[in-house]
Amino acid sequence: MTVTFSREPLNLVNLHSRKYSGLVNEKAIGVVPAPNGGVTLLTKKDATKHSNKPASVINSTTFGPNTQPRKTYAGIVNSTAKKYYRPDLRKAAVARASAIKLSQRAKKDKAPAKPRGKKAVVASS
Amino acid sequence: MTAVKRIPIVKKRTKKFARHQSHDYKCVDASWRKPKGIDNRVRRRFKGQLAMPSIGYGSNRKTRHLTPSGHKAFLVQNPADVELLLMHNKTFAAEIGHAVSSRKRVEIIAKAKALGVKVTNPKGRVTVEA
Repeated sequence: MTVTFSREPLNLVNLHSRKYSGLVNEKAIGVVPAPNGGVTLLTKKDATKHSNKPASVINSTTFGPNTQPRKTYAGIVNSTAKKYYRPDLRKAAVARASAIKLSQRAKKDKAPAKPRGKKAVVASS
Repeated sequence: MTAVKRIPIVKKRTKKFARHQSHDYKCVDASWRKPKGIDNRVRRRFKGQLAMPSIGYGSNRKTRHLTPSGHKAFLVQNPADVELLLMHNKTFAAEIGHAVSSRKRVEIIAKAKALGVKVTNPKGRVTVEA
């Protein structure tokens, strides 16, 4: 197996690579689940001014749990890709926001298995 | 989450390669050792002899290391490891490490369910024997 994952918050696909890294790129986008539901958009401020304080470089905007998915995606795209801020990450950012939104929904329980054949006889008796 | 559709997985051989004469002597283990003798009939590939492993038996690179479901297994020890697979739940399945406790397994499985990540060994230590 030759895949290397990354845990950085500014990495949209969790892959260790030049394009998706939030450390080596001066501009990077991160989408993380917000603590109370919804998603938080992370971007980096002008690195030339803040490069000696990496912790304070990150800007964050939260789209709460009640923000409609389409509004959330539009918010992410309008504040990043549409402003020429990493337009190459547009698809990945929306995909990640969508995956997080999906993971925050309540999941249906699996339907109980209907026994067939011998097991059905045992279950009915 | 179901895996991405790929070309069918073909195993060219599923039987193990047994070591020469492992059937005849109990002190000769079945683990493969290449015969090296000058007169060895297996080494010389005589008719009716045991088959020797060779590169031709290898799997297609596109289906190598895939589970029957089409996922690759990724070893996880905690829920944070499962989060790595958020954007890869169609290519990777989580495999819980053997030493993980049942309490943490429950957490890992719940996380995997929320993220739509398949777990290859969800029953280990979690189900109780009747």
